[in-house]
Amino acid sequence: MGVEFRHVVKRFENGAVALSDVSVTIPTGSLTFLTGHSGAGKSTFLNMLLRLDAPTRGRVLVNDVDITGIKRRHLPVYRRHLGAVFQDGQLLDGRSIFDNVALPLHVVGMRPRDARRRVRAALESVDLLNKARLLPGQLSAGERQRVVIARAVVNRPKILLADEPTGNLDPTLSRSIIRLFQRFHDVGVTVIVATHDTELVGTMGSRVVELDHGRIVGSGGTNADG
Amino acid sequence: MARIRVWPAESRSWGAYWRDHGRVIRDTSHYVTGRFATTLWVWLTIGVALAVPAALYLLEANLVRAAGQWRESLGFSVYFKTGVAMEEPRSLVERLEAMDGIERVWLTTPDDALAEFRELSDVGDVLGLMDDNPLPASVRATVNPTISPSGLTTLAEAAAEANGVEDVVVERSWLERLGAVREIVIRLYWSLAGILGLGAALISGATVRVAIEARLEEVRVLTLVGAGRGYVRRPFLYLGAVYGLGGAVMAAMAISALLLFLEEPLERLFGSYGRDLELAGFDPIFHLMLLVSGAVLGVIGAVAASNQRLKRLNVA
Repeated sequence: MGVEFRHVVKRFENGAVALSDVSVTIPTGSLTFLTGHSGAGKSTFLNMLLRLDAPTRGRVLVNDVDITGIKRRHLPVYRRHLGAVFQDGQLLDGRSIFDNVALPLHVVGMRPRDARRRVRAALESVDLLNKARLLPGQLSAGERQRVVIARAVVNRPKILLADEPTGNLDPTLSRSIIRLFQRFHDVGVTVIVATHDTELVGTMGSRVVELDHGRIVGSGGTNADG
Repeated sequence: MARIRVWPAESRSWGAYWRDHGRVIRDTSHYVTGRFATTLWVWLTIGVALAVPAALYLLEANLVRAAGQWRESLGFSVYFKTGVAMEEPRSLVERLEAMDGIERVWLTTPDDALAEFRELSDVGDVLGLMDDNPLPASVRATVNPTISPSGLTTLAEAAAEANGVEDVVVERSWLERLGAVREIVIRLYWSLAGILGLGAALISGATVRVAIEARLEEVRVLTLVGAGRGYVRRPFLYLGAVYGLGGAVMAAMAISALLLFLEEPLERLFGSYGRDLELAGFDPIFHLMLLVSGAVLGVIGAVAASNQRLKRLNVA
């Protein structure tokens, strides 16, 4: 699934402009970093894709479908095609790691046997299968973020979105998390990662879209995805 | 420009549906037992709100039942002119028996009246000195105790139109008093049922709202992974049903205790009039109605609270 923003403007009720005439195409199966300082519009960009927010003007196309026109009652089904990773993790503390990862599968009503297989595979892909029975509070910050990634990919999404996924992590852990995204990108998932960590992005060699005050100020690929 | 189309939806099996409900029931029991003191408090509050109208409902039902015990005194008597042929009273009996609201009809012939008079009166022998029986034929009709005063009047007027009728005496005062008391009780019942039912729904809604706030993180995560409003809302509706149902159980217990407390003195009162007492309120239908009302009110409160809160959270 590819993503296209066409002249997207987002103006909040208080008058603040989060995105200003943003037009960009993110090809299917690419790994793209959205960079920029805090308040540049990165989170708004991802919220548009998740349809947590709607543009004031312009169109957002996913797989050639204008998602701004999707009816509210169809949004849950649309979101099941996406995986989302956020900085604060958003794990449910009262549930085991296994149950946290299984959540998207419960939502779609998958049979328990199939769901178990999928969850095991997702946890294995982030090297946390041995911690499936633990509670989130018993894991380190890096491990918790890997659990969130496992939950985001357990439903085999076409697009993986991550908003500051390394925000609370040290450089070594950050690189390991980004490598995980690269692995999903390698199997054909479109990955969009919003981060302010330009140093980290520089080491990865992927497509970069730079935002500043809601405008695209730089866009281009480096050696890997050019 | 790409055509806007509905995103392909997955179909959910019945198995998935029941599994989901099973999981919600387990989660709800954990939530309720984990906060038992709060739950008990909510149950008691809703129980009081339900017990008051339920008690009034029973009061009205028991008034009707008590009236039934004295139904023989509810009705009217039709007195014919002396010397009227017996075909007229007999014809009236047949007509009255066919009317709605009439429970029973008795015909008293002049001879029966004379025999009764002799038996009950010390001066009965005086009538034997007369050449002719001076007592008229009469017809006595009892009516259904739930009949309105105007309904009784209509029946009596219909009887008065029969040939040879001298007078119709309606035992109205007892019925009017009973009707007035029933009217007050029914109005009180509906008013309090409305106010306190709304109160019960609001209590359930407020408590469910607290539960939503406590699980905001879960709601946000579920929204992100593609859960619809029905899925997100389901645990809260179950919670509302549990609060309402628990409140109804409390109300049923309170009502039963009240009836047991009143049964003995009421039995004595009825016994002094030579009547048997059978209180309404111990029957399973009443308790079932109470439980269903409680559960429905609990769910209504939960629906209102969750719809409002989830809409603000942008849960589609």
